[in-house]
Amino acid sequence: MVALAALAAVVLLAIGGTAGYLLSSNRSGQVVPASGSVDAGFAQDMIVHHRQGVLMAHLAEIHSDDPEMQRYAYDMAHTQTAQVGQMEGWLVLWGLPEIGVGAHMAWMTVGGHQHGGSADAPLATTGLMPGMATDKELSRLESLRGKDSDVYFLQLMIRHHEGGTPMMQYAGAHSANQVVRNFAAQMLTTQSTEVTDMTNMLAARGAKPLDYTAPILPGG
Amino acid sequence: MASGKKAKKGRSGKPVLTRKRGVPWLAIGAVAAVLALGVTIGVVVLSTTSYSPSASNQDPSLQIDGIYAKPKLYQSALHVQSTQRVDYDRYPPVGGPHDGYWAACNGVVYLVAMRDENMVHTLEHGAIWIAYNPDTIAPGDLDILTGLVQGQQFMVMSPYPTLATHPISLQAWGHQLQVDSASDERVQQFITALRRNPYVYPEIGATCDQPTFPTTDIPAELRFDPSPRGADTIPLDGGDLAADSSEMPAASTSGSAAAGG
Repeated sequence: MVALAALAAVVLLAIGGTAGYLLSSNRSGQVVPASGSVDAGFAQDMIVHHRQGVLMAHLAEIHSDDPEMQRYAYDMAHTQTAQVGQMEGWLVLWGLPEIGVGAHMAWMTVGGHQHGGSADAPLATTGLMPGMATDKELSRLESLRGKDSDVYFLQLMIRHHEGGTPMMQYAGAHSANQVVRNFAAQMLTTQSTEVTDMTNMLAARGAKPLDYTAPILPGG
Repeated sequence: MASGKKAKKGRSGKPVLTRKRGVPWLAIGAVAAVLALGVTIGVVVLSTTSYSPSASNQDPSLQIDGIYAKPKLYQSALHVQSTQRVDYDRYPPVGGPHDGYWAACNGVVYLVAMRDENMVHTLEHGAIWIAYNPDTIAPGDLDILTGLVQGQQFMVMSPYPTLATHPISLQAWGHQLQVDSASDERVQQFITALRRNPYVYPEIGATCDQPTFPTTDIPAELRFDPSPRGADTIPLDGGDLAADSSEMPAASTSGSAAAGG
């Protein structure tokens, strides 16, 4: 009896150990988010926000004759394109559309709970998201060359980064997935310093940032 | 043989567990406890043997003997001019302000020592930089290291003449490991744990391609400068470069995001 019990214990231990090993190898904190959730909304809206940033960076790279600016814009265009690819990949795996429906930023509900109503989402908008350039501004950027293009690109991109900040902060704090929280937080840290860096680059070219204050999500 | 049969018969004739009436709580409890112990052991075994980063094991390099790991100490995305030098806290450097012009790090083996400020930028993009002292590295080790780098994405290698204590030094963003032998198992552990680890490198998605960066015939301004850094070097925290914090959205609005939660 003792031998049988010992054998059973060994077998159970092996089963448990294997299960634990397999469980933890799959245990990456993944939650498949629903439509309208923080994760879904962040990915869908940040893709749109990023795509305009990529376009502006491409324009800056091909219209500049300053190697420093060309490298900077190349870095930004490539990095944000790769980030768009990651977010598109999540949406495919989550079975959600790349393009969201309804208002942008409606997922940023005050207090971190999703009530489904835009009354709780003070930054929700059906138009351009904060910091994004208008068609008129994009046309102007397309028309400029050399240092004029460099300066205007930096001005638009500083505002673009600042406008995207609340989304990154909100996703960094409220996403259900560790992967998404980390992604948003890393992006926020990098872009915050890029704003400083681009402000320095503007100053070196005798110019200043546009007059702009990013929207602040009210506490609640 | 005969005695064995006898013993079996004797055992089957006494069904110990079914003899008692009611729910066998003791047996169930024992089974559950043993299973739970097994699961725990399984999880622990995995977390101490895998060097692949994941959401539940974000920096597996912390398990490596002799690792230096302080990724949050270093300011990312802050650029210096091509004529400026940075006062790094260790050499080879592992993070901090750097030149906006990153050295191509898509499997490039540089044959001359390279400027620190260009190499640090490769770490920000998620690359592993293998540095070695060409005078003290063991025979054959250079071939082994070259094999780890050539043709590999997010790997870059260059000689580092002032490397003193150990002949080989591995760098990732905010991380360093120095070893004596290229065959040391910790070399591969370091690479597995830290190359393109999204919890470690700051600029998620950034590339190691730098089409305009020379990989042969390196001009003097992109080479390692062995002279001591002067008083005009940029401090590790960026100094005046980072001083314009009033423009930083994170600094002015992060509190409200926290309040929103």
